[in-house]
Amino acid sequence: MRGANALLGASGLAAFLALGEAVPRLGVVDEDYFPPTSRIADAFATELADEAFWTALGDTLTGWALGLVIAVTAGILAGVLISVTPYLREATASTIEFLRPIPSVALIPLAVLLYGTELRSVLLLVVYASFWQVLVQVMYGVQDVDPVAEETARSYGLGTWARIRHVLWPTALPYVMTGVRLAAAVALILAVTAELVIGAPGLGARIAVAQTSQAVPEMYALVVVTGLLGLLINVGARTVERRALAWHQSVRGEVAV
Amino acid sequence: MRRLLIGLTAGAVLAAATACGSSDSSGSDDKDKASGGTTTIKVGVIPIVDVAPMYLGEKKGFYSKRGIKLSLTSAQGGAAIVPGVVADQFDFGFSNTTSLLIARSKNVPVKAVANGVASTGKQKADFAELAVKKGSPLKSAKDVEGKKVAVNTLNNICDTSVNESVRKDGGDPSEVKFVEMPFDQMPAALAGGQVDAACVVEPALATIKSQGGTSIASLFVDVSPDLTVAMYFTSERYAQKNPGMVKKFQEATAESLEYADSHPEEVREIITTYTKIPDTLLEQLTLPRWPAEPDRASIERLAELGQQDGLFDKAPDLDKLLP
Amino acid sequence: MRGVEAVLLRLLLVVALPALLVVVWWFASDDSTDVYWPPLRTILTTFPDVWTGERLRGDVLPSLLRLTAGYACAAVAGVALGTVIGSYRRVRAVCEPVLEFLRAVPPPVLVPVIMLFAGIGDTMKIAVIASGCVWPILLNTVEGVRAVDSVMSETARSYGITGPARLRHLVLRSASPQIFAGLRQALSIGIILMVISEMFAASNGLGFTIVQFQRGFAIPDMWTGILLLGLLGFVLSVVFRLVERRALGWYHGRRDASRRSS
Repeated sequence: MRGANALLGASGLAAFLALGEAVPRLGVVDEDYFPPTSRIADAFATELADEAFWTALGDTLTGWALGLVIAVTAGILAGVLISVTPYLREATASTIEFLRPIPSVALIPLAVLLYGTELRSVLLLVVYASFWQVLVQVMYGVQDVDPVAEETARSYGLGTWARIRHVLWPTALPYVMTGVRLAAAVALILAVTAELVIGAPGLGARIAVAQTSQAVPEMYALVVVTGLLGLLINVGARTVERRALAWHQSVRGEVAV
Repeated sequence: MRRLLIGLTAGAVLAAATACGSSDSSGSDDKDKASGGTTTIKVGVIPIVDVAPMYLGEKKGFYSKRGIKLSLTSAQGGAAIVPGVVADQFDFGFSNTTSLLIARSKNVPVKAVANGVASTGKQKADFAELAVKKGSPLKSAKDVEGKKVAVNTLNNICDTSVNESVRKDGGDPSEVKFVEMPFDQMPAALAGGQVDAACVVEPALATIKSQGGTSIASLFVDVSPDLTVAMYFTSERYAQKNPGMVKKFQEATAESLEYADSHPEEVREIITTYTKIPDTLLEQLTLPRWPAEPDRASIERLAELGQQDGLFDKAPDLDKLLP
Repeated sequence: MRGVEAVLLRLLLVVALPALLVVVWWFASDDSTDVYWPPLRTILTTFPDVWTGERLRGDVLPSLLRLTAGYACAAVAGVALGTVIGSYRRVRAVCEPVLEFLRAVPPPVLVPVIMLFAGIGDTMKIAVIASGCVWPILLNTVEGVRAVDSVMSETARSYGITGPARLRHLVLRSASPQIFAGLRQALSIGIILMVISEMFAASNGLGFTIVQFQRGFAIPDMWTGILLLGLLGFVLSVVFRLVERRALGWYHGRRDASRRSS
């Protein structure tokens, strides 16, 4: 089952790559600005042989991982706290709604002012963007708690902590997992974007250099690296999710692996 | 077992990530870290041809012999560099002259310390041109009236200069439609007919030329043959606190500029270390000039034009800006 | 009377924290001389001068139109694709890697690529907004459709409810809480992308204006723009919540009913 899935996924990717080869070759767009897959693959191989590339990859992953851990922890804590404390949800709703849409991109000058082009700048933007993803999902998840189950737990005299642990958490978990998966993707996007715009060391900064140098195939090769990272991150998140939700409806239908 | 595996993999990824990440200096705010008599200073630059003298000077030891260790950081543009310098994240930065004039007119405390880059002064052979694609009907600057012209930043040095070229060619600059996009996107936009002309610098200019595109005006030369296009600058606070360091930086930079100006082959070589310009383009690049000192008259001209185009409410005080 | 008190209490809850934060900001920044951190007083006094009716018409309106168009495209595409991918395990296996690959590409890098295909006009900006908004909607729809209760599914089958009717009454209905969670996230992502798309080849728009202020060192004006973005997001999310309440009335109703009955 697992192997069949991987095979299907690979065939999907292969079709996508073939499309990337065909579009410029057929003259739909100019080859110079949208190189065919084979030329990108060449540049990709050159990148892999470059030591500086691996350093950049490490920088990006460090920013991503740290930012994600901070955002998920803070998001879950804040989400549960806001949901279970009476009136806190209503009191914070307007502030949350106001802060959420402020684009991380608008915070770039702010990040530079505070931390220059260090890792902390990237972290600020990554955490700001992914925190809301987790928080909103947690709050939706807590809302989804079955009132009957909650009342039952109450009448059995379970304390707040026990209720969170046995009633609220299992219900919210699928939502939280989706939130974490989204946050993982958003964190990567923001890490690369921040590097790209601010110039903090990492894949994004390499993309920026390739862009300004008119090195189009190299630029696309780096973009492919970012895409592959996203793919790996998703596979990882899915695996974790499957483990954590083995008992849940949406997973039950799948053959256990 | 599986769970253990996942845990191990996650741990390994994290460890690997931290291991292969570049070990940044732990952000200590100690500006004058004297290690064996050398001071590390942070300079915010843009990864383009213009800043080659910095890298060359670092390599040649013009900075180290004065006890300066350069830490060069590439940022995307002035949007990140100016705030970085003002907030003491960078000690020095590289910015185009018009941006510095605008900043000064808004009382942002920036102070130019050294020349950055200058026009070659040669018509149709400058490092920045008003370019059109192969077979374009546009032949000279006044033909862009009513047409779309790509500039990297609106209300900045590009449109001010294009306006001046159009004016000198007997056209009406108010009829030009400017579209903002990064330099590196301009070749594609020209080829695709999304814009009719572009204010473009190297290496994007070389790409356009390699596809048969031509220049219809040398906009920087039209402003002034000795135009100071960009400068290195610092914040007023830093200049007041570290006059000795600023002086050393100026001397070392002047020496680097002169060296770069007279050794074009070494410049082309050093460019490959901090950009990814393909070899095919590297040969074609028109290098700018790097005079040791900024040209005040040309900066005054740029300020006049900027005021004419309404970039500033009041004329910036050049005495406060220039070294 | 009780009703009035309840409304007042709600209003107080909505206003209290923001008011507190504003007061803190006001006093913390009041003697600031830093160019980039102007006092709140300065920001608020510049606000009306900057966001005049003309500017709202010329910059905010086009932005909103582009956002609406991009968001609508993403919603339709996300729900449609998500339903297909969520319903058929094979399709999901084929599509997922490609989709995840595309999702991880940062929008600022995507803009030049979209520019090659869509030019530099509004089409490009709408495409950029849609390309980012579609992911949370798509993902949540897939999850929601996968999680359709098997008992309900079997019931529907035994009653012979198939095809469009099954889709409408069973699949989309039971997935709708998750779809709305996705739609809501897409809204804030849409605003972010609205700003990013207006950094390229734009001549009007809220994001464009903010960037222009920042480049022209009109820092207080830039801050007013950021505030306006927050306000815009707030208003949109209130509107969204109203729509959601109507659309998911049965769902919240069911919850409330079971709360009351217990």
